[in-house]
Order: sequence, then C-alpha cells, then structure tokens
Amino acid sequence: MAANAPVFTGTSGFSYPEWIEAGIYPPGTKSAQMLGLYCHLFPVVELNYTWYQMVRQESVARMLAASGQLLYCAKLTRSMTHEIDEDWQAQTALYCQGIQPLLQSGRLLSVLVQFPPSFHRTRENRLYLARLFDALKALPLSVEFRHRSWAQDSVFKGLEERQITLVSVDAPPLSDLFPPLAVITNPDLFYLRLHGRNAQGWGSGSKQQQFNYNYSKEELQQWSRERIPQMRSACKAGVILFNNHVAGQAVRNAQAMAKLIP
Amino acid sequence: MERRIIHLNIADFSVAVERLLDTSLKGKALIIAHPSPRAVVADMSDEAYAEGVHKGMLLSTARLRCRKALVLPPRPEQYHKALQRCLEHAAHYTPLVERSSGSGHLYLDVTGTHRLFGPAPDIGWRLRNTLRQDLGLDPIWSVGSNKLIAKVASRLVKPRGEYIVGGGEEIPFLAPLPLKLLPGIFPHDLLRLRHVNIERVHQLAALSVQELAILCDHRAQHLYQTARGIDTSPVRPSGRAEAKYTHLHIFTPDTNEEAMVRAAVATLVQQLGYGLRQERLACRRITISLHYSDGVMVNRQATSKIPLDDETALTHLANTALYLAWRRRIRLRQISLACSMLQYPVQQLSLLAAADPRQQKNRRLSEALDTIRSRCGASKVVRGSQHLAHAGSAAL
Repeated sequence: MAANAPVFTGTSGFSYPEWIEAGIYPPGTKSAQMLGLYCHLFPVVELNYTWYQMVRQESVARMLAASGQLLYCAKLTRSMTHEIDEDWQAQTALYCQGIQPLLQSGRLLSVLVQFPPSFHRTRENRLYLARLFDALKALPLSVEFRHRSWAQDSVFKGLEERQITLVSVDAPPLSDLFPPLAVITNPDLFYLRLHGRNAQGWGSGSKQQQFNYNYSKEELQQWSRERIPQMRSACKAGVILFNNHVAGQAVRNAQAMAKLIP
Repeated sequence: MERRIIHLNIADFSVAVERLLDTSLKGKALIIAHPSPRAVVADMSDEAYAEGVHKGMLLSTARLRCRKALVLPPRPEQYHKALQRCLEHAAHYTPLVERSSGSGHLYLDVTGTHRLFGPAPDIGWRLRNTLRQDLGLDPIWSVGSNKLIAKVASRLVKPRGEYIVGGGEEIPFLAPLPLKLLPGIFPHDLLRLRHVNIERVHQLAALSVQELAILCDHRAQHLYQTARGIDTSPVRPSGRAEAKYTHLHIFTPDTNEEAMVRAAVATLVQQLGYGLRQERLACRRITISLHYSDGVMVNRQATSKIPLDDETALTHLANTALYLAWRRRIRLRQISLACSMLQYPVQQLSLLAAADPRQQKNRRLSEALDTIRSRCGASKVVRGSQHLAHAGSAAL
C-alpha cells in the first residue's frame, strides 16, 4: 500500500456514435476503430456490452489484439444481476469461460457485479449473492449496489473476507440510493464509478437522461482531495470510471480527474 | 453514418401467440396445422421440435412422432394482431420498421437515434423488455450493421438470447460459420459448393467473383457480397399504404382448376388496378401468395421494367408471378395479390414509332370501366376474364 499506488482513469464503454459528434473521435470514425482510438485517451475501459450479452472468447480475443496495453474492467451479464433466471449457474460458467482470454492476458482489473436498485438486502438476495460470489471466485470481483440497504458494516466485512471490492459510487443524492462511501474491502483494488448527479433524469428510464451530467471542477475535487487519496493509501491500485457518457462528458471529466490526481 | 439495424425474432411466433391466448398451453407440445387429412405442420413448439417434428412435415407423420402433441388450427388474424402490437412498440423508437416475410420477424433501422434513445443494444434490450411486459413474448434480439448480419446473429442464439455484432466486425463474425446459416443461399448453391468442399463462410469469402461465377453462375455476385456481410438493402417500413394494395381471394370450395384461378387473379388485378389509378399511381412489382389446402404457402413475384397501371399489363405481370408460384397439384384455398415498388406512372413516348394501338385501346377501356365503377360501384361491371371467379367464390 502506498500513497502513489497507480490509479487508472477511464470511462464506462467506449463505443458511442455521439462521441464523434462531441469531437472525441474524428468525423467518420467506424465502430471498429473506436477502441484503437480510445487506447490513446485512457489506460483503462469498462466493458458494458458484456452486460447486454454473454461475453464470448472470440470477441474478447479480437478486442485484446486491437487495444495495445489497455486494461479492462468488464460488467457481469444482466442474466446474473438484473434478470436472474433459473439457470444463472450455467450463466456463470459461460461467463468464466468467455472472459478467459482477458483473464489470461493479465489485463483484467476486475469484473463488475452491478445490481439494480430493486435488489434489496433480503435473506433471499444475501443467499444468492453468496452463491454467485462462490460461482465466480476464479475472477477478481467488484460489487456495486444501488440500494442503500446494503450500506452496512456486516456487508463490508463479508466482502473483506472474500477480498471483493466494494464499488464507491458518485450518483444523485436520492434517499434510496447507495451512498457515496470510500470503504475499502479489498486491498488489491479500489473502484470508483461516477454516474453524474442528474437527479431528475435518474428515474426517467432513459439512459440518455440518467447519465446526462457534466461534473464541475469543484465536484471532482470533492473526490480527488480527500476520498481518493484515502482509498489510494489503502490499496495497491485503483480505477476511476466515468459513466456520464452522454455527449462525451465522461471523457472530458475523466481527463480532468486524471489531471487532479498526481 | 454507420447503420445500426436491430432484428427482433419471436421464435415459433404462432405457438407463442396461442400460449398467450391460452396460458394452460404453456409447457405442452403444440403443433399448428390446418385440420385436414393432408395438412402439413405450419409451426410447432420446442417440445414438439425436440420429438422430431418440423415445419412442412405431414401432420400424420408429426402425430406419429409426437403423440402427446396438441394440434391447433392456425389463427392468422390473432397472429396479425399480436404482430401489429409489436410494430406499435417498435415504432416508438424508429419509423423504419420492416415486417419481414414469415411471422415474428421485425427489422428496425435505428441509425442516428442514439441522441434520443442511446446505443442500439440498449434499444434492443428495452424493446424486448417492453414486449415481455406488455405481450408476454420473449423475442431474440440482435444488432448488426445491416439486415443480413442481424439475421445471422439471431440465428446463432435461437431460440432465445441476444447477439451484438459491432460495426466492422462483420467478416470475422461470419468467417467461422457454416454456409447454411446465411440467408439467401439456396440449397442448390450449398450443394454446388459442397461438391468442392466449401462449407464455411471463410472458405467462400476466399473466392473471387470470377471464381464463384464458375461454380454458381449468375449468383456469384450475391454470394460474394453475402460472404463478406455486405447487404445494402434498406429497412422498408410496412404500413397502411402497403396493406391498401393487397387483395385476397378465398376459393369456396378449394380448387385447382386453372380457369377458376386465372379468373380470381383477374378479379384481384381489377381491384388492384382500380385502386392504383384512383391514387394516380403505378407499380412495378406484383407478389402472389398461394395458400394450398394442406397449409403450404408459396410466394412469388414478378417485376416490370416500367411502372404499370393498366389492367391488361397488370394481368400479364400477375400471370407471370402465378406461373412461378403455382407448381403443385394440391387445391388452392386462397390467393392474395400485392403490389410494391409504387411510382407515379410515366410514359416514355417513342421518337419514331407510333404508340401501340392495342395498348391505347386497353387504357381507354380501363378508364371507361373506372368511370362506371366510380358511379355505380366496383362490382357492377367486370371484364369477361373475371366471370368464373364471380360465379363461385368470394373476394375480400
């Protein structure tokens, strides 16, 4: 643990056509070229397409080949977090298999297990969570809760025992949301996700409104001055990812944040 | 701008709708077929498929393979209603929604909608959720840069799931797949290619157009493009306008008499032509759908180089399509005729030769008949060629 532990800054996702209009990618950029261009912007990316569809070895291998030394975080597929069905155990096996090229390359920082606000801390959900973590124990894991019921010491202790990173979130100050905490549960990695603070758009059902937010310098400094140094001193590495992708705001905020962290 | 096409495929659509209408059918083996002795399977549930039943199989054989299966007659009007509801939900995201041939297939062109609705995969996922909540249907959804890629992606995950193919990934995506997964490759193409040990897309993609022409003649260009995931065909919205130029004739009783069928075609052409001329439109393509009494349906189309609105010319085009479609001796239950490639009629006059007097005469006759029909009703005056159809069946 050191105060100068490496901290990687990037964005959630990289393939947004609107980033061409926002001037992040040059005009006429094709989807296939975006990852190559992204590598020149940031050292890490969070794969969010893996939330929509099961990760496949061949597509991950292609991505690795086209992205230099870029580091990755990958979201767990929705069939294990948002739409949990009866065969979720088979899904974990498929995921572990699909993510192998990334794991073997040594460029996978963490698999992000993100639950929806409807996933409350109930007995049933706690049991599910324990079984899910067991099924995914071969992977480096981080977990993001969206409901405040999980903000409890017993939860943090359980994560600490399993060496699973609790994701720190920056989101609108809504009463039911998981609060912005700087709790370290895994000394290997801290994981900060910044979703923007658009309280009006948060419940709109539209991601274009939910994640439409531009952080001010002061808001970024709230993290960079106290919480990030605190987390950094307790971890071997850290990752900061901006999810306010609308109109390329995530890119600009991430670049600004990278400058604020020495 | 890169195209983003979403393909929605509700597997076993008619079975899915029947299960919505009667929830007690869930989990049971189902076969959809006309209740006639020589009927064939129009659709079946996964349970029946697992027992060896497949589309087009004789119902008697299907019953032997899956004795516990329930056989239900098709209810096209219910399927149409459900599909219409799906279209309404899809139209929320884009006006470019195409209802593909075969029930339960929709294509959405969501190119350029990202500012409003976010990335294409998010639209696909949301739409699938809406259909699940509103209709209880669970479609496969896929995203690709064109209809070909999106359709192949859906085929890979059938009967449920999703597949996203990024722009620029078309060739590596298709390369390892077997050729039979590609739409638009016919059995005789597959056979010819198999003779030279070409069974995978990457093997086909290694050939030039000239090399392919040796194997597949005029199909070479099409195969060359398909193997590379090239498909420039637009998503054609199907709306009221199209339905307006679709006419149906039901035979009572079923028939395979040529005179009756030709008379029915003439009646449908008359309705079509009258409608077109009223709107001052002409069409270049006529599609004929034949529904045989054993449940088999055949679609064929004929295309003209110039737009047509005259009954004689339209009848000639419709008969060409009929000739292509009508290859079985089984009696026909219904025939439907649709026109597409609608245009404003243009007439390129010859510089030297005078216009064909017969053509002029036919046009004047059509106009005279139109005048009478608009005054006295569409069925008050008919051509002699329609006589038999009026004697023994009903046009809708």
